[in-house]
Amino acid sequence: MPLKRAKIFFIFLIMFAIFFFTNDFGLIDIEKTAIITAVGIDKGDDSEYSVTAQIAVPEASNVSSENAKTHITGHGETVGSAIKNVGDVSGWFPNLSFCNLIILGNSIAQDNVITVLDYFTKTLRIQDSAIVVLAEKEASELIEKSTPLDNISSFALQKVLLKNPGHDKDTATVDIKSFCVGYYSYTNSSYMPFIKGQEENQKNQGGSSGSSNSGMGALGSGSSGSLGSDNGLDGKGEALFDARSTALFKNGKFVGILTPDQTFMFNAITKSVSASTVEITDVPWANGNKNFLLTIERNSPKIQLDIIDGEPVLNVSLDLYCKISDQNTDSSEHSYTKNYPLPTPVKDRATQLLTSHLDSLIQTSIETDCDFLDLKLKLYRYHHDRYSQFKDSLLSVMKYSCSVNVMGQR
Amino acid sequence: MHPQLKSRQICFFLIAFVPVTKLFMMSSIIAGIAKEDMWISTLLNVALDVISLLCICFACKKAQADFITILENNFGKTGKNIILFLYFIYFLLKAVIPINEQKDYVELTLYMTQPTLLTFLPVLLCSFFLCLKELRTLGRLADVIWIVTLVGFITLMALSVGSTDFSALLPIGVNGLGNILKGSYSSFIWFGDIAYLIFFIGKFNYQKHDTLKIVFSYLATGVMVIFFTMVFFGVFTSIAFRQQFALTEISKYSTVINSIGRFDYVAILLLLFSNMFAISMPIYFAVKMLQGIFPIKQKWIFPLCVTSAYALLLLFFNEFFYSIEQFMLIYANGYFLLLGNILPIFTVFLRNKENKGYAIKTC
Repeated sequence: MPLKRAKIFFIFLIMFAIFFFTNDFGLIDIEKTAIITAVGIDKGDDSEYSVTAQIAVPEASNVSSENAKTHITGHGETVGSAIKNVGDVSGWFPNLSFCNLIILGNSIAQDNVITVLDYFTKTLRIQDSAIVVLAEKEASELIEKSTPLDNISSFALQKVLLKNPGHDKDTATVDIKSFCVGYYSYTNSSYMPFIKGQEENQKNQGGSSGSSNSGMGALGSGSSGSLGSDNGLDGKGEALFDARSTALFKNGKFVGILTPDQTFMFNAITKSVSASTVEITDVPWANGNKNFLLTIERNSPKIQLDIIDGEPVLNVSLDLYCKISDQNTDSSEHSYTKNYPLPTPVKDRATQLLTSHLDSLIQTSIETDCDFLDLKLKLYRYHHDRYSQFKDSLLSVMKYSCSVNVMGQR
Repeated sequence: MHPQLKSRQICFFLIAFVPVTKLFMMSSIIAGIAKEDMWISTLLNVALDVISLLCICFACKKAQADFITILENNFGKTGKNIILFLYFIYFLLKAVIPINEQKDYVELTLYMTQPTLLTFLPVLLCSFFLCLKELRTLGRLADVIWIVTLVGFITLMALSVGSTDFSALLPIGVNGLGNILKGSYSSFIWFGDIAYLIFFIGKFNYQKHDTLKIVFSYLATGVMVIFFTMVFFGVFTSIAFRQQFALTEISKYSTVINSIGRFDYVAILLLLFSNMFAISMPIYFAVKMLQGIFPIKQKWIFPLCVTSAYALLLLFFNEFFYSIEQFMLIYANGYFLLLGNILPIFTVFLRNKENKGYAIKTC
């Protein structure tokens, strides 16, 4: 290329580079940006949406300090306009790129929730991998609660919903995309964690009181235990989040709830729950009934839908390989680390207890007509010739059997 | 005959530039029509391309002159000009949707607020620069870019496979032949890339097994695209038709991404980089068609005209892109099929006579 032409080309290149960089790569002034960490969505009597945004406020400091946050509520006839209203009233640009949690208030669940959630799957302003949950009461109330676990309540809630490997898998966590996939699929069924915020005021009491009903997990799983707190937060209304129940949706409408036991069983037959614990109560023992805590080392579920004699038959089986982690017997001959077979009474009681949970899980699916086990998808994919026959009545006409096989060292 | 390429570079050309344009909007459009069977629609298009490619390779084998010379020797100057003009229109149209895809993608996913249109114009500047170059430059470019494309693609797929439900592709063929063919038809604009290769006829020394190497390379790109559509549908299943930008969405559900953050953007940016050159290919060949019809000495005039046309399109027709897209996907696809797949088949029937001295040197 001749030198003159090269010079002209270089000048053009510089010119376009200036155009390119004047936009600052599309970044905006951090002072005018609201970094939204979570949103709570409620619906008023006048059908107006209220979006409460929890906003992290970064502050320059050379000492470690708590995360600062604030809450701003915007109103609008659509979720998008309510979020825009947050920006309007605050002057901040609402940046949803870091929003990992969407809390729906109970008022939203009375109608089709997809009218709210669809916005988040269609816009590129928010990651559709954000977790979505249903609050027992108002979303704004839940999001504004203070918690001893973190200064920002949504971070604390996410700790409960997204646990590291090795913790109990006792919440049926779902992101926006998965919820919408279920809604638009042939099952028209979805689910999301049902959050119960519990007011506690046990400051300076110390200790812990992990709530555990019929034993799915110990402290620190599913629900956040009430902890003694001396971190400078006010002692009023500190929140404990219980995310172990699951809200069920059919055609986007709330139809029922899975109990913590059913939620755990749902996880056990749909995903890996290794390292989770199961409390087995009332095991017949030499000196009366005893309680055991089993750790699941491996779970092998099998959900099979067959057409037998023209009728749909569901077989659900679950193999659990467990070890004893704790027991309140009077004496024990072995340490918990030793490879030792599960005592027969423990095995029998665990099988009985877990089979009843599994049975109640399937019953709930039938009663609510919420196909969270994706049985219609199985019918569509593997027995397509029968799909049109059973697509509307599968859950009500199918016969089912379920079994849980609890194993220990052999 | 003036060999400008090596067969190796043609293989790399296919791997570098053929799959990358198909990773943006195409999957969601086919998914909206053929649903679970979208991969079959893609397979049909790949098969059609392979048939055309075999014919082109056969023509390459017996070629004693470049394609434009062969055209002129077979159809005369007017016939040659008509065919070149048809291909000029073909390449001109072929770039419209991919350019807009890249522009939309960059603006909507990489910028928080609305960026100015000027941010995208340097891409056209790159296209302009590329159009000034000879075929051997494309060869050298392909020598480098293929690895960029491959690394980006493999990384993206590795992150996506874990969250893919391959059973979502069942039952096979349930949407009927009509929808499968319709899905195939609606995506012709992204296929027919082998039309580039007819202008490689006579531009490289054909050697033994070159057909095998080139067809195998194209098959590799075909497998990449089919696998991508399978993973895409397996990740999004019932909402696949709504995922306009598959590239940015497909990998983010990985557990690793959830834990570490969006490092998949490294792979995405690699593919965007490759795509910048891939979308320049139809522009490049459109310019070469014009130079074949109007042999003028000032090589910069046609590149300037063509890239300016696209710049004007982006600047002033931004509000009409829905109509443009609909026109391309509904009406123009027949033209893409004809020029991209059917006419290349006839290259085997052309007489390969030596240049009689009046042919115009091009490319």
